[in-house]
Amino acid sequence: MIKTSQLSKRVGTASSELEILRGIDLEIKQGETAAIVGASGSGKSTLLGLLAGLDSPTAGDIYLDDINIVDLDEDQRATLRSEKVGFVFQNFQLLPALTALENVMLPLELAGTQGAREKSEGFLARVGLGERLHHYPRTLSGGEQQRVAIARAFASAPVILFADEPTGNLDTVTGANVVRLLFDLNIEEGTTLVLVTHDTDLADRCQRKFSMSAGRLEEAL
Amino acid sequence: MTSPITSSIRLLLRDWRGGELGVLFSALLLAVSVVVAISGFVNRLQLNLERESASFLASDLVVSSASLVPLTWIDEADSLGLARAETVTFSSMVISDSDEMFLASVKAVGGAYPLRGALSIDTGSLQPSSDMPEPGRVFLAPRLVEQLSVSIGDDVYVGDATLTVAGTLLSEPDSTSGFFGYGPRLVMNSVDLNATGVIQPGSRVTYRMLVAGDSDQLDRFHDWVKPQLVQGQRVLTVDESQPGIGATLDRARGFLLLAGSLGVVLAAAAILVAARRFGERHTDQVAVMKSLGATKHTIQQLYAFSLAWLGLIAIIVGSGIGWLAQSAMFNALADQLPGEITATGWSPYITGGVTALVCIGFFAWPPLARLGAVSPLRVIRREETIADATRASDLVLGAISLGLLMLWYSGDLKLTGALLGSVALTVGLGFGAAQLLLKGSRQIGSSAGSIWRLALAGMQRRGNASAFQVVIFGIAIMLLLVLTAVRTSLLDQWRLQIPEGTPNHFVLNLASSEEQTLLDFFAQRDIEVGELYPAARGRVMAVNDKPLPNWDEFEEGARQREANFTSTDTLPEGNKLVSGSWWEPGTEDALISLEDGFADDIGAKVGDRLSLRIAADEFVVEVASIREVNWESMQPNFFVIFPDSLLQRFPSTLFTSFYLDPSEKPRVGELLALMPTLTIIELDVAIQEIKTIIDQVSQAIELVLLVILVAGALVLIAGVSASVDERLHESAILRALGASRSTLLGAVAIEFAVMGALAGVLAILGSEAAGWALQTQMLDLKYQVQWLLWPTGIALGGGIIGVLGTFACRKVVAVPPLQVLREL
Repeated sequence: MIKTSQLSKRVGTASSELEILRGIDLEIKQGETAAIVGASGSGKSTLLGLLAGLDSPTAGDIYLDDINIVDLDEDQRATLRSEKVGFVFQNFQLLPALTALENVMLPLELAGTQGAREKSEGFLARVGLGERLHHYPRTLSGGEQQRVAIARAFASAPVILFADEPTGNLDTVTGANVVRLLFDLNIEEGTTLVLVTHDTDLADRCQRKFSMSAGRLEEAL
Repeated sequence: MTSPITSSIRLLLRDWRGGELGVLFSALLLAVSVVVAISGFVNRLQLNLERESASFLASDLVVSSASLVPLTWIDEADSLGLARAETVTFSSMVISDSDEMFLASVKAVGGAYPLRGALSIDTGSLQPSSDMPEPGRVFLAPRLVEQLSVSIGDDVYVGDATLTVAGTLLSEPDSTSGFFGYGPRLVMNSVDLNATGVIQPGSRVTYRMLVAGDSDQLDRFHDWVKPQLVQGQRVLTVDESQPGIGATLDRARGFLLLAGSLGVVLAAAAILVAARRFGERHTDQVAVMKSLGATKHTIQQLYAFSLAWLGLIAIIVGSGIGWLAQSAMFNALADQLPGEITATGWSPYITGGVTALVCIGFFAWPPLARLGAVSPLRVIRREETIADATRASDLVLGAISLGLLMLWYSGDLKLTGALLGSVALTVGLGFGAAQLLLKGSRQIGSSAGSIWRLALAGMQRRGNASAFQVVIFGIAIMLLLVLTAVRTSLLDQWRLQIPEGTPNHFVLNLASSEEQTLLDFFAQRDIEVGELYPAARGRVMAVNDKPLPNWDEFEEGARQREANFTSTDTLPEGNKLVSGSWWEPGTEDALISLEDGFADDIGAKVGDRLSLRIAADEFVVEVASIREVNWESMQPNFFVIFPDSLLQRFPSTLFTSFYLDPSEKPRVGELLALMPTLTIIELDVAIQEIKTIIDQVSQAIELVLLVILVAGALVLIAGVSASVDERLHESAILRALGASRSTLLGAVAIEFAVMGALAGVLAILGSEAAGWALQTQMLDLKYQVQWLLWPTGIALGGGIIGVLGTFACRKVVAVPPLQVLREL
């Protein structure tokens, strides 16, 4: 499902070259849930960005659904994302000018999916926001905004869902509710879930747990 | 994939609702409305002014001839569809029933006379009439009515014809064309001309063919008839017949086009700023969309279509606003404008539309096109850099497109060059100096108090963005300064051209023996009289012993020239030496000073020997100097001047001028009663008409200046609001850390005031350069360094930008920090 081999990422700084990821090999199967944990600056988010095709590696290969995305250009990767990938971000990344419903409809519209509105209304109802379709992000609480983001991620029926610190901006109780929702939907939709987190409770709920340190990845067994 | 048209409309509607489009749309709307309003206004004003000035000729074009106008000319004018009329002017004695006689300047009119302007006739009824006299009837100038002691209904005799007085001539449109008929006017119908029997072979008569119509057809007629002119014939257009009015109109046209071009530059600047901001605000949105699967192509297509829709709406709405604005401006002037108000054609809307397209393509699109290149990685790494919103290549392309647009708009290469050159100077100097000063300001700031430190650090942190803002402010202030300065010198120059008390009557044929009588007459009535010049009619026969052909004075090429010769030992006011030197007062040498055009006509230069003839005497003089004469000044001017001692040898009469208030008009009759041999040329009506035109144009210019000021203010506001978002974030953090609202607002005020003052310096440098180029190269005005501008420009720049900036950023301290931080 997701497979990397000898994945590495280096960035040049003013004085020297910084190696963020060092030869990472990883394999996650269809429908699995996986957590990547690690200290700040250990390279978790960089890895997530590479796995989702948001950035290109310096070396190595990344296979999503048997397609080596390293061979794809930016536009081909975007098309792949629209077909197979969903996102949930720490800071929600809802567009402030769009209502909750329009935010959920956006990826469906971009992919030209028929019945975008009905599908989006259905997902918002499933995350408990059926009554707040036409609210703007600024009028929603943090938990509500993250639920809109989850509805948006699942609405386009992704094969893989990437979540970057999904509870990082939420209090414990709200965070727990959001996590429950994420896992419930994951089971219902049969999605592969890869999340990056500091939250050990959240990591513990995943079937597999990887630990990132100084650019190297190890699976915690 | 949903159709890009639907998606783009959806994006546009959502952006609109979210308030994202406000500034960009306003800037586009401003561009279209300003251009439509100004070009519509200029179009209509120009049409009306041309029509008004055409009334000086009573037509658009006149062909004058000493003999009957050839029939082929009439046929050609008819075949081109031009309206036609004719006048025949000559001097003749007019006699009344009571045997009073007076030499009148007779004008027989026919066809559709007048083609432009109108006669104003007091027929004794309440409403003055404007129709030409019917056969058998005449109109008399008030002075002729007075001299002949006649009233409406009485008969007068012109040659063998008996004609009935049908009214008093209050004004006529072509009163100033030709001063050959020195007496007061009598207007008759040309049908009665034969009956008078006055015109005989050898009579001094001027035949005029008047035509009016479409300017293309007029040009064709002009080009067709010009090569056929022979001795004694000439063709006149408004500009040629009235150099004063022609120059006034040319300058007004130049100014209005300058104003319109400035409107385009200002609008482009506003769009550039607004599109930059729009692009920056959309960076995060595009990153999210790309992470959700939008390709670069999708993003670019989406924004291109959105921009196209926005442009289309701006063109439609802007054209409407422009139409309303030009109607309002024009109606405000309607009372002063003669005749019906002409409608404006499609051209202003086409100009507005093309302006919008150029502005969108070269100023709004580049920052949006680069949104396609935003990295989707920004969704997880905010520090991911974004593409520079404005690149040097954009500015170069923008400048070229703007140059072409202005060139198309004004049709004037010098104007475009001067404006673009000064804008380029401001931009170049601006970026360099702003960077340097901003760096320096940090050092000053670090040793200053906390508000200053915050302000100067903020300015420096935004480095390039601050420099960009300074440059935009600088351009806007510069263009406004240029326009204001040009307007001021234009209006001053016009006011000087015909100041209050400009002589409006000229006295000819005054015998030296009558000099004292005349001076006493004026002294008793407290009327100021101008300098007395001796005048003798003479002819230039040869240059350097080479005889000149004896052809008519209207012909081109070196010919004999007849002129009024005068003498003075001091260079007359308004004359400027172009070559040679002025003679010592009291000189007895045989010298002469020539007007430059006259010197060209006879092919003479300084040092040449001229053979002259006055009456029967022939003598030789040397050209001592060549003068440039300001013919617009309405002062007595001469082609040929001698030293005083030389002309004393010849019989001469005296020539002078005086100013008469309209209420003192009867003095002319009194003077002629006292000295019947005098000839008085009355220019009061003509001067009044020139003043009316100048007043109208001045008002139009003030109105246009106001519109451009509004456009400039909007650019400043757009520039100021450009950095509000970033400030909002910073201020939220600073406030969370405990900074007081007054500290933050103080810092914002200082930051904008410093940028405004820098912009003021740039603006003054640019405006001095542009002002010099425009005034000396284009508007033919004198250039003066505006020293007062320096302190005022800097203070005003700092003050206005400081206040505007603080006002625009008041939200920065009004919104609770928590709300700002949550929204980010």
